[in-house]
Amino acid sequence: MKTYKILIMLLVVVSFTSCGDDFLEPVPTAVLVGDTFPTNESDLESVLTGVYDALQGVNSLEITDNDLNHGQQIEFYVTEMLSDNTRSKSGEGEAGQFDSFTVQPTNGFVFDYYRSMYSVITRANLVLENIDLAITDGDRMEGEARFMRALAYFNLVRSFGDVPLIDRPILLEDVETQFTRVPTNEIYSFIVADLQSAASKLGSTTTANRASKAAAQGILAKVYLTQGSNYGEAQVLLEEIIASEEYALESDFRDVFYNEANGENIFTVGYVASSSLDSQNFSAEMLNGVGRTSGVNYVTDEAIAALDEFGGDRAQYSKRIDAGQPTQTQVVKYLPNGDASLGIEPTSSDPTSAGNDWIILRYSDVLLMHVEAIMAGGAVTQSSNALESFQLVRNRAGLTDVVEEVTSEQLLIERRVELAFENHRIHDLKRFGAAQQVLTDFSNANGHSFSATDLLLPLPQFEVNLSNGQLTQNPGY
Amino acid sequence: MRYFITPRKFVFLLIGMVISVSCENELDLPEAGSRADTMPPEANFSATRDVNNFDIYTFSNLSTSATAYSWDYGDGNTSTTIDGQNQYAAEGVYTITLTASDALGITSTFSSDIEVIEPEEPDAIIPVILEASFEDNSLPDGTGDGRDSWRNSDLGGVIQINTSSSVPDGSQAAKFPSDGSRIAYQEIEVTPNTDYTITYSYRLEGAGGEATVAILPGGGYTDLTVAQGAAIVEFTGSEEDYTLTTLNFNSGVSSTVSILIYNASVEARVDNFTAAVQ
Repeated sequence: MKTYKILIMLLVVVSFTSCGDDFLEPVPTAVLVGDTFPTNESDLESVLTGVYDALQGVNSLEITDNDLNHGQQIEFYVTEMLSDNTRSKSGEGEAGQFDSFTVQPTNGFVFDYYRSMYSVITRANLVLENIDLAITDGDRMEGEARFMRALAYFNLVRSFGDVPLIDRPILLEDVETQFTRVPTNEIYSFIVADLQSAASKLGSTTTANRASKAAAQGILAKVYLTQGSNYGEAQVLLEEIIASEEYALESDFRDVFYNEANGENIFTVGYVASSSLDSQNFSAEMLNGVGRTSGVNYVTDEAIAALDEFGGDRAQYSKRIDAGQPTQTQVVKYLPNGDASLGIEPTSSDPTSAGNDWIILRYSDVLLMHVEAIMAGGAVTQSSNALESFQLVRNRAGLTDVVEEVTSEQLLIERRVELAFENHRIHDLKRFGAAQQVLTDFSNANGHSFSATDLLLPLPQFEVNLSNGQLTQNPGY
Repeated sequence: MRYFITPRKFVFLLIGMVISVSCENELDLPEAGSRADTMPPEANFSATRDVNNFDIYTFSNLSTSATAYSWDYGDGNTSTTIDGQNQYAAEGVYTITLTASDALGITSTFSSDIEVIEPEEPDAIIPVILEASFEDNSLPDGTGDGRDSWRNSDLGGVIQINTSSSVPDGSQAAKFPSDGSRIAYQEIEVTPNTDYTITYSYRLEGAGGEATVAILPGGGYTDLTVAQGAAIVEFTGSEEDYTLTTLNFNSGVSSTVSILIYNASVEARVDNFTAAVQ
């Protein structure tokens, strides 16, 4: 029997390497996942930690194996750089494909992001399948696993459209489930059910690195807004977060990013400086030649103009001139090596092993979603409850002129400058129904080749090949 | 039973992969006319109305295996761009047709209707408060004892009616005895997320008392303590002469709000409710 198990583990490794990456990384969780299934609550907690690890991804400058998952660390390529906010500095290679809307099904970042999200899902499924082992803390563990699974599916469905729905640990032979694209609305129903369950099972947390009730409520509200059919329920959820008074805007915008235990961040992906397993490299990659690249996620002229015109105090903490190349502009929100002129301390002695967290949900996003929920798909609102939330966000940026109405166009701009470079822009454009217009103009002005099918990423060619043609590619690829 | 995969199957997988890779390399282009068009174009698109202009639509081309496109926007306008956009001069139903063709001249068409219509901005509901001045026979059907619309026996006893020529409006006002055992409660329909103003007049029949009017989100209240704790806005006053009072509030997510009136210590009179959109 023992030999059998070892043999089985190898098979699993091989199979998942084939479909994507080694889902057994990082190592500690891998042993549990692949070798023995969890047999008690403590094992299950380790598997749950592995769910977070999967989203966290590995620092490719610390662990350089090519086929690992990089999760949240590479999300900016497939979201922010696909939008009109950022681009690569050179415009070359796989990173450059996002700048120019020429993403290929073979793009490594697309594949990496896809398999990272399924790694989160696979591990969460293992927790949920064995949740009966959790005798003392089952609600929390189930809530966290459901939250993480829903978040991963939300990322997948927004970026890829119809995707395979894996809702339980499946056998390798189950190619039907692995390679059947399930319609977007069914994926959304699944996400909603997970988040409703998570919101009912979770409480508050001491760290934003773990899923909480408010995190589940906030992401669920965003799901409703994305579906565009449930504005009232979104508003109720957001008002529950607001009424809980657990969160508030940081008084200084800079501290949102550089004082990580602040009261604004609701859910973040945690990184630990100088740790080979838990640090991140996106901070280095966004600098000029500090990481492997010559600089990615550089700020577009359009985003510079928007921040200068509408950003208020936020502009200086969102972008800066690249000192090494003054014609170029860098993102400021994740600096690993600090910036004395902005009063930002280094977060790590080694910039390639940075500890800056990635913020998934923060309170100002909640406030702006509150405005969006009240606007309910309309073009404008004058409702005082919307104006109050909108004004709070603007006041913090030093823009204290009294707002008397908010148009959907103004809300989209406000989201752009408040949440710049936090991977919201492409999803916001799509949710507001503005993506095709805005990106066509952006593409024409910059000589790129945008067409509407670029709003969904291609399914990774590797997966399409492995499915023997069962996975159909998105249009335009 | 999990993962009982035999080594033979594992070998199979590897073989499968190798084959699929070799297949891909063999997909060379055929000589012209030597093979049927195995990937004919399939036309498809989606339509999105511009957020700010109801008469502008953008069309996302979702066709597969095509190289050229021809749009017919249904109003005489046409285009050969990949994605489409059109502004319509008049309201109406339009059929948009996309013809997609590939380099072999095979075509596919897809049509879909849109209805161009200027969205009506519905006016906010002006709330109707029944028996707003507590007058007899003031219900819409000409009946009523001035307090029928204000009952909620779960929250407290029904109000009494004060009849006097010196009430602010008409000849009757609501009367709340000093023991505080009676309340007035009415649910009114509103437009969600709209700012409203409600006014009323009240007085107390002596010093040291209080009269409270509270606006509650939603309806269906059955517990006085819960109701009192839920107020969106409320005003508690102690004036001994009739005093016009204004409550401003936002209706929030709900399409119903409730008015709750109660008093303490001294007999209170309340009269002449009005409601308006701010």
